[in-house]
Order: sequence, then C-alpha cells, then structure tokens
Amino acid sequence: MPPSSSPASTLRRSVGIVWRTLRSMRTALVLLLAIALASAAGSLLPQIPNSPERVVQYLRDHEIWGELLLRAQLFDVFGSWWFSLLMFLLFVSLVACLLPRSRAMIRAIRQAPVQAREIDAFPQYREVRVGAEPVDALSQARRVVRRRGFRVASDPGNRALAAEKGILREAGSLVFHWAFIVLLVGVILGKGTGYAGRAVIVEGQTWTDAEANYDGQLRTGRFFTSGHSGIQIHLDTFSDRYADTGVPMDFVSSVELTSADGSDIDTAEVRVNHPVSFGGVRIFQFGFGWAAVIEVERNEQAIRSAPVVMTQDTAPEGVSQLAMPWIGFVKLTTLRPQVAVKLELWPDGGAFFQALQTGELVPMIRAVDPVIRYRVYTGKLVDPSQATLDTHLMKRTASGVIGRGQTVDLQTGCPIGGDAPLPTTGRACPEGAADPSLTMTFPEVRRYSVLQVSRDRGVPLVLAGAILILLGLLPALYTSRRKVWVRVEPDDGGSVLKVGGFALQRKEQFEQEFDRLVAAIGATGEASG
Amino acid sequence: MTDWAAISNAAFTVALFCYLAAMVLSFAFAAFRRAPMHAAGVVVGTVGLAANGTAIVTRGLAAGRTPWGNMFEYSTVLAFLIVGATLVLVEWRWRQPLVSGFVYAFAVLTMAMASLYFYVDPGDLLPALNSYWRQIHVTSMITASSLLGIGCVMTILFLFKDRAERRAVSAMERQDPPPIMGGAIDADAPPDFAAGADEPVPETRQSTKRGILPSASALDRLAYRFISFGFPIWTFGVICGAIWAQKTWGRYWGWDPKETWSFITWVIFAGYLHARATSGWKGRRAGVVALVGFVSLFVTYYAVNLWIAGLHSYAT
Repeated sequence: MPPSSSPASTLRRSVGIVWRTLRSMRTALVLLLAIALASAAGSLLPQIPNSPERVVQYLRDHEIWGELLLRAQLFDVFGSWWFSLLMFLLFVSLVACLLPRSRAMIRAIRQAPVQAREIDAFPQYREVRVGAEPVDALSQARRVVRRRGFRVASDPGNRALAAEKGILREAGSLVFHWAFIVLLVGVILGKGTGYAGRAVIVEGQTWTDAEANYDGQLRTGRFFTSGHSGIQIHLDTFSDRYADTGVPMDFVSSVELTSADGSDIDTAEVRVNHPVSFGGVRIFQFGFGWAAVIEVERNEQAIRSAPVVMTQDTAPEGVSQLAMPWIGFVKLTTLRPQVAVKLELWPDGGAFFQALQTGELVPMIRAVDPVIRYRVYTGKLVDPSQATLDTHLMKRTASGVIGRGQTVDLQTGCPIGGDAPLPTTGRACPEGAADPSLTMTFPEVRRYSVLQVSRDRGVPLVLAGAILILLGLLPALYTSRRKVWVRVEPDDGGSVLKVGGFALQRKEQFEQEFDRLVAAIGATGEASG
Repeated sequence: MTDWAAISNAAFTVALFCYLAAMVLSFAFAAFRRAPMHAAGVVVGTVGLAANGTAIVTRGLAAGRTPWGNMFEYSTVLAFLIVGATLVLVEWRWRQPLVSGFVYAFAVLTMAMASLYFYVDPGDLLPALNSYWRQIHVTSMITASSLLGIGCVMTILFLFKDRAERRAVSAMERQDPPPIMGGAIDADAPPDFAAGADEPVPETRQSTKRGILPSASALDRLAYRFISFGFPIWTFGVICGAIWAQKTWGRYWGWDPKETWSFITWVIFAGYLHARATSGWKGRRAGVVALVGFVSLFVTYYAVNLWIAGLHSYAT
C-alpha cells in the first residue's frame, strides 16, 4: 500500500475488492459447494427440529465430541447462524452478479445489433451470388433473416445488415437467477410471519387455535405478530381404513369448523393429501391415536373425568407399529400424597391376552373389548408433563388390568363390581371390598386426531419463484446466442452477398443452421455462381 | 394377480441377464472392434429393454397402480430409462457405440441392488403416497436420475480418457523429434494451430484414435448433454415434491434427509453447470464436480433409504 493513501480510499478499495470477490463466479461456486457440504452434515447428524430424542441420545453417547458439535450448531444446521450466513453471502453474490448482467441485458435489448467490419473473419463465412440489384438483394436477405426470428439492423447506406438471435438465453438465465430472490422473499415472508403447530383433538372435543392449546408443539416465525386465527375445530369422528394386508389406506378426520367470531361454520373432511383451508389457516391430517376416557372418584366425588391422549413407543424391528400398546398417564396432583397412574391401553383385548400367553404381538386395528394394564404410583410428582412420568420420588402401590366399563380400587388394584373381573397381578382380592376411597373407571375409548394447523402467506410467492426458476432454466440451457452479418456488393448485373456468422453456444448446430440460412438467402434471387 | 407378479419377476430376471450379456458384448466390441459384437450387443440390450418394460407393466397390473411406489419399482424403472436413453440417444442418434457397456454395467448394478435389498411383493401404497403428485414427482425424479446417472458415467469415462490423453501428449512432447503432423515441426510456421484453445478440451489430440474410448472432448460433450438434459427435470421433480409435501405434510420444505439430499444433488449439478462456464474450472475440475454430484445422487437414491431415517423411509 502506498504511504500516501488516505483511510477513506483504503476503505473504498477494500470494499471494491470484497464486492469484486463476491461477484466472481468462483466465489459463487465455492459458496454453492459449501452449502452442499453443510446440508450433508445436516442430514447425517440428528437435527433438533426433526428428531430431538436422537440428538439427546447422541449427546449421551459422545460426550466431548457431542458438546463440540452442539457448540458449532451442527445439530441445527439449517437454523444455525453460519448456514444463514452462507445463504446470505450466496444471495449477495447472486445480486452482485445479476445487477450488472441485468443492466447489460437491458442495454442489449435497446441497442440495435452492431455492424461488423470484416465479415470474412467470422468462423462461418460464405458468399452467394444473386441476380437482383444490391438494394433488393439486401432487403430480400433481411426478410429471410427476420423470418427466422433474428433481430435485424441495417447500416445507413443499406449495404449491410447485422442480425442476432437468442437473447432469450441470457434473459432466461436472468429470470432463473432472479427467481431465487422471489423464492427467498416468499420463504422469509411465509416462515417469518407464519406459524405451524399440531393440534391434538379427541373425538367429541373442540379445539381453539390459540397459543396455549398447542401444548408446546408450535413453531412461530421471527416476525410473527398478528396472532392466531382463533378458529375452532370440533372433531366429530376420526376413521381409518386398512387393506387386508394391514397397509393403511386412508385417514379421515370429520370436523366442524367455526370462525373466530362464530359467523362462519363449515363441516369438512381432513384427509391425508387433502388439507382444508379455513379462516386463513390450512389444516392437515398429521397423525392419530387412541384416548381412553378415565374417571377417577374420591369418596364418590368425581375428581377427574377426561380422555387421556395416549402415545406409542416405537415398535422393535419386525413388529408392526399397530401391535404396540398405547401409553398414557393420569396425574392426580390435588391428592396428598400425590398419585399417578400409568396406563397401557390395548385397543384389542384379544391381542393383549395373546401377548400374555405367547409373547407374540399382533396388530390392533379396531377397538374390540379394549383393556388397560395400569400401575399406580404414590408419592411426590416432579414432572408436570402429561406425556411422561418421573417416578423417582414415588413408589408403586398397586397394579392391575381393567376392561371397558369396569371400575377398580386404585389403592388395592382390586376390581369393584363389573361382571367379568380381569386377572390382576395375582394378589388375592377380598370379595366385595368395603368402601374404597379412590376408584378408577374406564367407560370408553375414543380416537384422537393430530391435525397440523399452519399459516404460511409466502406459499404463493414461493410457488411463483419455483415456476419462474423452471421457465428461466429451459431457455437458459437450451437456446443459444448467434449473430449473422450480411454485406452486399454489386457484381455485374447482380450482386454478391457476403454472409458471416458465429454462435456463442451450440456451435455444431449453428453450422447446419448457417448452411440452411445461406441456402435460403441464395434462393431468393436466381442464384448463379 | 399373483400370475402378473410371477411374470413381472421372471421378466425382471430376463432383463437383468440380457443387460449383463449386452454389457459383456459391448466391452468386447470396444476391445476387439468386431462389428457383429456391437450388433449383438444392441440386439441383446433391446431384448433386455423389452423384458424390463414387460416387468414394469406387469408389476403395475399385479399391484393395480402405477408401478413406481417403492424402491424396488423405482430401481426397475430407473434401469429401463437408463438403457432406453442410451439406446435411443447414444447408440442411435449420436452414433457413439463405445460407451454403452458402462451404462449397462450401471443398469445391472441398479437392478442387482434392487433385487438384493429392496424387493417387496407388489401391493398397496400408504395413503401419503396416494396422490397424483406422487406420479409426477416420482416420474420426473427417476427420469432425471437416469439422465444424470448416464451423464456421470460419461464424466467418469471423460476423466479417465482426459488423463490418458494428457499423459500421451506429455510423453510425445518428451520425444525427439516430436512426430506431430507426420514430421518435424516447422519452427517458422505461424502458431495458428492453437486456434480453438478456448474450447474446454482440445478436439485433436494425437491419442484420440487409440484406446477403447471416444475422445475426451466427445465424452465431455456427451456428459454435458445428459446433465443439462437431466438438471431441469431434476429441478421440476424437486418442485413437484415440494408441492406434494405441502399438500401432505403441510410444509413445502422440511429438511427431511431425502429433501436435503435432493437439494445437495441439485446444488452440486448447478455448480457443475456454472463450473463449465468458469475459467480454471472447465474440463477436469468440472468433471470432478459432476463426479461428486454422482456420489450425491447415489446417496439421495440409496443411502437415505437404507441408513438415514426420515419421512421418505416408507419407500423402502
């Protein structure tokens, strides 16, 4: 650096260097490959948004290594600051490339094709003799060239013309690249101002779109301010249909939808691949499960009566997921000591007894004489979640099996009344126990449906971007830019047309096109020589 | 129904062995240059293609739906398109008889992998797959995979040939006197033979006539044709996949492993197309980028289903 340079000019120069670096194709290439590499890491390592439980497992298995990866945000690659930085740099580089190219493109469209000085220096060059006068010969040649889709400009003396074709290649390329900006704006707008969450609704229940009702299964955008839609979804029924082979064929949630102000009421079927739009949100069929209705009474006072939403463990290798029992918890926090019941629902009682006798797990598709195996824990509840139970401050006080329509004593695990007592844990139960103070009844089992509720205003823009990408890509790859020049010279009685041309791409195809073009020009007058 | 399935499986086996035989014949032709070998290779390859087509159609009849719903069917269709595109474009249109053997090898590998790891009896599909977007998405993804796959076979051949040609040229430069143009170099001649140096790979290197492959520049052009043909179809397929995902899962993009890898493959081939237009990246470096794209294509196609869990794992 020369000693005389001022800080301002140094700054200007460094900005210039950075800008030039960003504009170069090499930078764009390196950025593209870096993004590919980062994405590969994101798919090979478990990711927090997709499978948090596998991340936890990974951290447990690889302590130091896992900690390092966690610090580097490699468990959330696509949400990490450095992935965003790479994307940002790529887009800056894109714009830096596109601005001058677009300007040049506009100039090229406005400008007439430039006349050539030495036509015979071009890769393609031919001379044809025609009988017409030079002026007529040139205007005929112009017609031929123009009919083939070239833009034509004649020189002032009407002795030569310049023509070009295939500006669509550069235009397509520009559309293709600008479309990514459209796409990016759509993504940022949609994800930033939108939200997506999962609503768990048991048959017969009504769910309202509000933050508190997502039970933590909600993601909102960074610029999310407009609030939730407030619509109500009432699940009438959920039904599933299976082929004979056990392959699921369809999942359908029949819902009644009510707008936030109650003015608009509609019924709809939400099915896989058939989302429903209502009140500015879209509702998708996401999942389903069983919910056992559990009533608990203390001293013949109902203290709880609600469906328990139940979930399954992942089936071991070779076992159908449909064969797994459904797990749920009832937590009685108002009792002292506190009581929790772990429920294991077998929708098909036959499958339960088969599993007891032979250890074989068979798929359960319908609810046929459902049974629940339960365990009662007494002590102190430390875990407020409805989906898990931490028993380290509790001890198991009773267990047993309960069928639909039956009631059990939660303190002893003994059945009360009911016509067909189910086997308990083998403990002898007194005939007609006297006044149990805490009882549990299992009147029925219902389906629940998991619906994804989301608002993404960017989708149309993203789609538009995607369509523009495709529309731009085709001419950008498959058309070619070519230029043709013609000069006419008088030649005793007729004229000689000197035709030159070259193509920037697809040179082989142009050779044939050029031959045909020259033949067509020659055919306009009586060609001689 | 089981009859159709049995016919389909038999046709699959016939196709596999035909491709194997066509591969051997094709390599034999490349090595010994006997025209009957080439003719026999084309005939056996065409018979294999017909059997492959039969396997696809009868499988569709057995399952009562379009037969590209799982990895096995996907691979069968892929092999069909690879061989079909090679026979029609490379053999018939562009008259390049020397490279088909490598494409048959690719098809044989694909089909062998399919029957070893992915075979399932024809049956119904999950409800999430039951959409016409599936047909559009999967069809375009298979088509694009086959074109990019052939392009990458050509790229590998190009890299080999390019290396051989470079070595031959440098070996000749060491000889004294160099036997270029049948005699000694006229030192006073104008250097106009350097014309065309802007081309990615010079056309007229001395060694092009030797070896079992077409010239490096011909292979490079073939590779580019297939990749630039496959790339927009891949783009279209990914977009259709996003539309389908929006309808099924309520989001058009969720960085699911299959989505991520299709994106990675897209990015790498976009890099290839840009590399070809960048000085210093033309030729060999662009070829290496395409090769990386090939690896990524394979990960997208196989590894994601075999080893990485995700929403697309139902396809196995």
